[in-house]
Amino acid sequence: MTGLGDLLDELVADIDALLLFSQDGSAFETFNEPDVSTVVVAKENTVDADEFVELPLDFTDVGGRIRFGIEGALGQELITEDDEVVCLTRSFEENDVDTIIRIRADEFTQTGVYSLFTNSRPDADVVRDVLEVAIELGKKGQKGKPVGALFVVGDAGKVMNKSRPLSYNPFEKSHVHVGDPIVNVMLKEFSRLDGAFVISDSGKIVSAYRYLEPAAEGVDIPKGLGARHMAAGAITRDTNAIAVVLSESDGMVRAFKAGDIVLELDPEEY
Amino acid sequence: MIGDVANAIRDVFSKETAFTFAVGILLIGLVVSYLVWRWTHRFFERMDINDAVEGTSFERTAQGMGTSTAGIIGSMLAAFAYILALIIAFNVAQISDTALFWARVANYLPRLFIALVAIIVGLLAGEKGQLLVQERLQSIKLPEAAIIPVLVKYSIYYIAGLISLAQLGVATAALLVLLGAYAFGLVFLGGLAFRDLLAGAAAGVYLLLHEPYSIGDEVRIEETRGIVQEVDMFVTHVETDGEEYIIPNQQILRDGVVRIRD
Repeated sequence: MTGLGDLLDELVADIDALLLFSQDGSAFETFNEPDVSTVVVAKENTVDADEFVELPLDFTDVGGRIRFGIEGALGQELITEDDEVVCLTRSFEENDVDTIIRIRADEFTQTGVYSLFTNSRPDADVVRDVLEVAIELGKKGQKGKPVGALFVVGDAGKVMNKSRPLSYNPFEKSHVHVGDPIVNVMLKEFSRLDGAFVISDSGKIVSAYRYLEPAAEGVDIPKGLGARHMAAGAITRDTNAIAVVLSESDGMVRAFKAGDIVLELDPEEY
Repeated sequence: MIGDVANAIRDVFSKETAFTFAVGILLIGLVVSYLVWRWTHRFFERMDINDAVEGTSFERTAQGMGTSTAGIIGSMLAAFAYILALIIAFNVAQISDTALFWARVANYLPRLFIALVAIIVGLLAGEKGQLLVQERLQSIKLPEAAIIPVLVKYSIYYIAGLISLAQLGVATAALLVLLGAYAFGLVFLGGLAFRDLLAGAAAGVYLLLHEPYSIGDEVRIEETRGIVQEVDMFVTHVETDGEEYIIPNQQILRDGVVRIRD
């Protein structure tokens, strides 16, 4: 087994930081060493770590999770671009920590998935809630049928001025916010309506049934995606909003910021 | 009152019968106090009080003594019933000549009982109140906020103490004045401190209910012109060219809004 041990030694030799994707207190105690900075990446900072990146979603895909952790650590300047980082995470449900990955912090081209949550106009919680609604809608569909949806989140005033109503706004004079379980059911019911949902910075659902009319010049999205994605790309380029799209054709959830896709999730994996 | 009953019984029966009667009363008192004890336990179970008080320090102390809140109150009630029976029996049998003394004790007993209950209820309610407020404030990560639940607890303790002292006939006027000053300070200073927030909330209720303007409208408030980004209970966010004005709702209601349509 010395070969295996040597490999592990080699993996963890001369690293600059350790990304611990676990909120288990004993694991933190074990790995928290003074000469290597240990960054905890988890949903909650239960271990009171000084260096902490909040994970807004349970990324089931390890690559996405590590990408988020590294972008978060870079964004908070806990690590620098040429740091060698070891990530301790889990790949399978039943384990806590089962995977060791060594990576250079600049290995990924930054997609902005971290700044989607932290540096966007809407609150991180609102972004997370909208993503969760989209994921759930993608998983179950509307009454079992696959459905598409477009949520434009943040900068609602400007978005409203760059769109027009297709019909009566069912959310007129209502003061409901995303994240409320009842409201999530409402959103799912209303997802059969055409057009976009407009949600404000604080998560208030401003309108459904909006036809977006942004200037679409210079929006570059992968070929094959439809009008809904084009509209999402264009509105996020034209305003400071972000957009969350559930594709009707391939069932993927994509988040747009400043005209680019920053996050792509498969609802089936959640 | 008890004396009257005792006299009536003695008038009707002979002295010996009265004594037997007294023994009977003692036995009945025993049964009644046992029933009271049982009834308390069942009442506590039915009203889910046992679950409600679980974990409070009073309950913990009670459990440390091998009993529970239900047990203590049950025993108290039982003792109360039994002492009452004892007094009636004594009176009937005229074992004691100091009837006046006992009558006074009998009058005093209910008040003592209420005072004890007030203290127990106060201890439980105080602790529960503290827990409740603590849970509410959990999301506020501010060390100074930890004083509020404690304040709530001791306020309830204070009021409970006041009630029980008043029951016992202790002069509580000074303490009452203190309570009054405390409540006045709370209301007055609270009102003073939250005046703007209260005014904003009152205006916000109107603005949210009637929506004279909504998100996306272009408005001018005083000299500020821009697009409404957000309306909440207290403030309205108006944005123009990368500048976001956060305007208190009461100011909007006072100064009026110009909606710009074109």
